[in-house]
Amino acid sequence: MLKALSSLRDGVGFDILLVGAALVFLMALAGAPLIYNVLMSFQQVDMFTLGSLIRPFAGFDNYVAVVQQPEFWLVTRNTLIFVFGSMAGQFVLGFALALFFAQKFPGSATIRGLFLVSWVMPGLVVGAIWSWILAGDFGVLNVILRALGIIDANIFWKSDPAFSIWAVIIANIWLGLAFNMLLLSVGLAAIPRDLYEAAELDGANAFQRFWTITLPMMRSTIGAVLSLGLIGTLQQFDLFPALTEGGPANTSNVAGYWSWQLSFQLYDFAKGATVSVMMFLLVLFASVVYVRSTRHEVRG
Amino acid sequence: MQIFKLGLFAGLAAGALVAAGPAYAQVTLKVWSIDGNDRPGIADTYSKEFDEANDDIVVEYRAVPFDELVNETLRAFATGNAPDIVSFDNPDFALFSSRGAMLDITERVANSEVLSQADYFEGPMNSVTWDGKIFGLPKYTDTIGIFYNKDLFAKAGLSEPPKTWDEVVEYAEKLTDPAAGVYGATFSARAGEEGTFQFLPIIQMSGGGYDKVNTEGAAHVLDLWKQMIDNGWASKDVLSLGQWDSTGTFNSGNAAMAISGPWEVDRMVEDAQFDWGVALLPTVTEGGERSSALGGFDWGIMSTTQHPDEAFRLLEFFASQDNRIFPEFGNLPARGDIELPETGIEKKDAALKVFQEQLQFAQPRGPHPEWQKISKAIYDAMQQALTGQMSSMDALNQAQATIDGIVN
Repeated sequence: MLKALSSLRDGVGFDILLVGAALVFLMALAGAPLIYNVLMSFQQVDMFTLGSLIRPFAGFDNYVAVVQQPEFWLVTRNTLIFVFGSMAGQFVLGFALALFFAQKFPGSATIRGLFLVSWVMPGLVVGAIWSWILAGDFGVLNVILRALGIIDANIFWKSDPAFSIWAVIIANIWLGLAFNMLLLSVGLAAIPRDLYEAAELDGANAFQRFWTITLPMMRSTIGAVLSLGLIGTLQQFDLFPALTEGGPANTSNVAGYWSWQLSFQLYDFAKGATVSVMMFLLVLFASVVYVRSTRHEVRG
Repeated sequence: MQIFKLGLFAGLAAGALVAAGPAYAQVTLKVWSIDGNDRPGIADTYSKEFDEANDDIVVEYRAVPFDELVNETLRAFATGNAPDIVSFDNPDFALFSSRGAMLDITERVANSEVLSQADYFEGPMNSVTWDGKIFGLPKYTDTIGIFYNKDLFAKAGLSEPPKTWDEVVEYAEKLTDPAAGVYGATFSARAGEEGTFQFLPIIQMSGGGYDKVNTEGAAHVLDLWKQMIDNGWASKDVLSLGQWDSTGTFNSGNAAMAISGPWEVDRMVEDAQFDWGVALLPTVTEGGERSSALGGFDWGIMSTTQHPDEAFRLLEFFASQDNRIFPEFGNLPARGDIELPETGIEKKDAALKVFQEQLQFAQPRGPHPEWQKISKAIYDAMQQALTGQMSSMDALNQAQATIDGIVN
């Protein structure tokens, strides 16, 4: 008894207590809603039974019904375009900016700080602003593109089925750019200067220094940025109602917004839960790939 | 967003007050509506007035965006944080009253000295009635018509507003002037309730209804709309513009015709630097059947309220101000006993007469407890046809199959 108590104060018992507290916390805040969500995707749910746990079992009916929706494949395609388009744009531009501001010119730190503005702005506000910028008839972007001679006729970013998903991607890239740039800047700052100096003495040019020093040293940072980018992009919601509402005709609808539409616009909570479970599987797959790819990494 | 934050702080402050001074027997009523998001409206104005005039009742008003109102209220109701009074778009009201979320006020209305059920028009009153009981009061009603720019019409040699949709297209071609940035027509074919609001009347005019959408006439008008968009007689952005923004282009002289409702009139009087008029919604065929959308909001007390007496007092106050809603806010009262005053603004009074006539042809959306799903089937079909993903008839047939699955 005494031994058990003392183990609680200092020893294995204490470790288990700490791990247990963290696990309980995780289960309550993340696990329970997740399980409830999975449960709901196998049940018949309507507004009457929203509050109760015991509901008629539906098997895979909800999954079959979701796949049979006419917009299912369109939404799947859009989700992939949105995720990869946004991530690629945020990462490449974020990296370019991080490298740019790593050149210590006067005011570089201040200007880099100003980029935070986009990050602290609520998605709905960003959406509203981009909604004006991307407006077809009087939008700023069209005026600029026309002045530069890139286009002859206005592009209806939000209303043309060929462009609607890109309207949201452009806004999302802008929204996530600062976050990517900051994380990558931190990674860049952590690379020891003398590595570059040594490489330079050995006659390595800028590209070779980037390829053989910067990229390998940044590997874990890049992995973190990309996985956070994936999560952030799948989470993105505010821009959709502000810009296109998934329209026209679902050509800019993605899984996250569709799930919300099914649950909270059509009150089909079971189907909404089903879509979100499908999204969860996608994230799970991506995380497994990420964890496996960084497992053998030598850190430090 | 700002309003929401303010409301939150006001709520915290009020909570602190109540906690600090229990001797002060103040009742707090939470009111939610869409008013006050883009311009002062009925709910925010009246709530403030009642709050200032009554020391024993604090009214906390929160403006919720149109598209989030039902969802937000549903969530609040499920978690026990529902407002005391809320106002819904009329097709949404049945959803709540049929499931016990709204307070039965039949007795209170019968005993009220301020209001009487008989004063209200039948259509709007039906939307707050369920199973023979009254669960709310109509806030206002509205409908849509076609606004037209008389100056541009005269310039194009046209004198009369269009009577059929074929004429709308014919006129739109004549009125379009790309050099001046003028479109022939503007409307809202958005992926949402507003899209259904503008398109459902066309289905109804062609002999259909919310449960029968694949009519020849509806497909024909969809083809006409597509023709206008494809030829640049209407902006492609009608697919993403709401009615308020869409009519904004009319007010600035960038569109010669606009489909919208009486809520636009006040702003139009102020903004439009040209002569304009409004006409009944065009029909599918010459002299054909008329229809129009029935819009408008309803007030209701939520069944979870702790202060039903005070909430009803506030509801009575709202109703007692109904004679102000046309002159001040441009909305039409849902009551027959209110004589609408001449405002002295010639265009506004003329518009009012047209909309009052149009109201006789206005048909409700639904009523159906699964209205949102039906509505999505309708606006999805409309957008699929207008973006050329499907032929008009195929899109409407697909919507019909979806609706059959819901209704039957």
